[in-house]
Amino acid sequence: MFPDIPLSMIQPGSVVRISQVVGGQDDVKRMAEMGLQAGTEIEMLQSGSPCIIRVGQSKLCFRPSDILNILVSTDKA
Amino acid sequence: MSVDAPARTLNVALVGNPNTGKSTLFNALSGIRQKTGNYPGVTVEKKHGAFTHNGQKVELIDLPGTYSLAPRSPDEMVTVDVLLGRQAQEAKPNAVLVIVDASNLERNLYIVSQVKELGLPTVVALNMGDIAQDKGISVDVAKLEQRLGVPVVATLAHRRGGLDQLRDTIVSLLDRESVPVESPFPEEFCDKVGQLHTKLQQHDPQATRYLAERLLLDTSGYLEQELTSGGQELHSWIVESRNQLAELGQPVPAIEAISRYQWVQGVLDGIVTREATRKVTWSDRIDRILTNRIGGSLFFIFIMTLMFQAVFSDLVAGNLMEYIEGFFEIIGGFVDASLADGALKSLLIDGVIAGVGGVLVFLPQICILFFFIAILEDCGYLSRAAYLMDRLFSKIGLSGKSFIPLLSSFACAIPGIMAARVIENRRDRLITILVAPLMSCSARMPVYVLLTAAFIPDETYGGVLSLHTLVMLSMYLLGIVAAVGVAFVLRRTILPGETPPFVMELPSYKFPSITGVLLVMVEKGWAFVKRAGTLIFAMTVIVWALSYFPRNEEAVTAPFADEIAQLETQREEANKEQAAQIDERLAEINNQIDGQLLRSSFLGMAGHWIEPVVKPLGWDWKIGSAAIASFPAREVIISTMGVLYNLGGDEDEESAPLRDTIKGAKWEGTDRNVFNVPVALSIMVFFALCAQCAATLAVIKRETNSWGWPIFTFVYMTVLAYVGALITYQVSAAIMLG
Repeated sequence: MFPDIPLSMIQPGSVVRISQVVGGQDDVKRMAEMGLQAGTEIEMLQSGSPCIIRVGQSKLCFRPSDILNILVSTDKA
Repeated sequence: MSVDAPARTLNVALVGNPNTGKSTLFNALSGIRQKTGNYPGVTVEKKHGAFTHNGQKVELIDLPGTYSLAPRSPDEMVTVDVLLGRQAQEAKPNAVLVIVDASNLERNLYIVSQVKELGLPTVVALNMGDIAQDKGISVDVAKLEQRLGVPVVATLAHRRGGLDQLRDTIVSLLDRESVPVESPFPEEFCDKVGQLHTKLQQHDPQATRYLAERLLLDTSGYLEQELTSGGQELHSWIVESRNQLAELGQPVPAIEAISRYQWVQGVLDGIVTREATRKVTWSDRIDRILTNRIGGSLFFIFIMTLMFQAVFSDLVAGNLMEYIEGFFEIIGGFVDASLADGALKSLLIDGVIAGVGGVLVFLPQICILFFFIAILEDCGYLSRAAYLMDRLFSKIGLSGKSFIPLLSSFACAIPGIMAARVIENRRDRLITILVAPLMSCSARMPVYVLLTAAFIPDETYGGVLSLHTLVMLSMYLLGIVAAVGVAFVLRRTILPGETPPFVMELPSYKFPSITGVLLVMVEKGWAFVKRAGTLIFAMTVIVWALSYFPRNEEAVTAPFADEIAQLETQREEANKEQAAQIDERLAEINNQIDGQLLRSSFLGMAGHWIEPVVKPLGWDWKIGSAAIASFPAREVIISTMGVLYNLGGDEDEESAPLRDTIKGAKWEGTDRNVFNVPVALSIMVFFALCAQCAATLAVIKRETNSWGWPIFTFVYMTVLAYVGALITYQVSAAIMLG
């Protein structure tokens, strides 16, 4: 059982599961509307800040900030 | 065509996620029968279109692309207000057309579930099936229609596929007044919404159930302010209800995403089939290069270079500009020949034709730039550019989303500022708007061209890079560097706050729709022409009046009267060569008279007043006057300088006489040249940084809904321009003139 880590630490090509979207209620809800919520599987396409991830069939670029971040679990689901 | 066509117009609102081809579908359905406008007080663009099908007229309202109908700001509220018929100038839609991306139904059906709660007849356009196919995804349309309980039509908007069937389906909705509301929420939550709805109706009988639900879900407090004027009793009830729901395992606002995605899963179960292994699409392959840090940056530089080359090289824009110039010369010649000398003729030639013509010359460049931007946006590249630029922008506290408005501002700050609407974060949007006018727009070009050609030595480095190009380029860079600096300072002073997070979808690449691109280009070009025909026209007339009155022609002409009479007598008996000399002298006298008249005009007086202020910049009163005259619209400087330097004002930046005259201009009463390299540089820097555009300030007022920000922009840019020009002149004069 590995602890959850920030999305920015994930290597390109890895497939991980979102364990938590950390931020204000409003921002977290907006992320959910775009398909980013706990339990969603994502693939890291370009790491860095901002990074590019694949969520379902769409590609999103995301730059975490002090007020909004994504924690992921690297445990195999 | 039916004989007894129904008289009732069908109003249909278009809703959908960004990048689902909604605008393409809107264009395909309505063709050129569309008009854009603005809702008052917000930055939401309203787009209306219409079509007639089987004798039935259908009005379309294209609403901004959104992932959700959860209003948390005035801009988002507009969409919901239009759908609920609460928007004053908008007819309540009789139906909703939701456009969804067939390759990404999981997320796209989220908004469908919200629309189904509005109780309006709905049709779903299942768009981009070809992209879904490329990804190895197939959708059972019949089953989807059955599960959703609303008509579903497969469309390919960019190829105009499925449009007739879609029109049939839309028209068939005419007889349906409303449909039963379906809610994906648990029973306890629905009960709470029902109770809140009853409470709201006691204050406002028009309150809808949908808004009651949104009120319960909106923890940002925006809707409570909007709908209930912040009544304490109701607020306590809402807070208490949320606590009770949380205890039941239905936390607000998370319950919405949970419930809706559960509903989506249920709908899609067994309907969407995918190939076992994910197909690598063309988009993926292209992205490997274009979003790569090195490859992507190189391609980005290449595209930007190509775009500015097309805009500024003579090859494309130059020839078109010559045609427009030629056209205005013909008109000017016609007016000159058919009117007697006097105020009206001077107004038409020096004012209207010089002013408006001087602006319209830049129409090709504006069109080319917007053509490029529209293509890049339509094929999906601009969002990649925004991703690449985010690295830089985040360092100054902005996000990559500010890139597109700033890029558009190189053509013209007005559409650039309007493009800032895509930025959700208010602070980011404001900073972007405030620095957009620093980008060197096409109206600054004549100033750069004129002064560079006149005073910068025509040297070439390594046979390729000319000094002229370098100077022009550095003016553009100056604007960018200034914008970065100002944004950085604003972030740390009057607009502080965290650097906002950046989340943006990267749509699949696709071939741009030529119709859509041309529509954008025509729309932006036309807006520019309208501006030239109204605001610039009015400003030009005002500047002309200030430079024409008070006019005591007799007093000014008196000292030259004898010489003129003598020359005209001599001319009658002169041979060809002598006549030419006499003509030259007569023209010289006329120019001196014009110059004297100008010196005694209101503008001339103002120029003399401000001379002490502009002297440290190396300017004489004439440059000062030209700068003042250019405050309403910077393009005015060319015709003003023409008048000021005794030429009669019908000059453009290519005119050799104006170049030669300013080269030979002397400080009054001395033989010292007014213009030299330091002065030329200081004028260019001043124009690069100054807010000399009333239309831009008007747009800032409209977009920020306050007079404070345009006044702030005007003040900070004028101070910046003055200080920049002062430093430029003093430093370069010290180096070059010793």
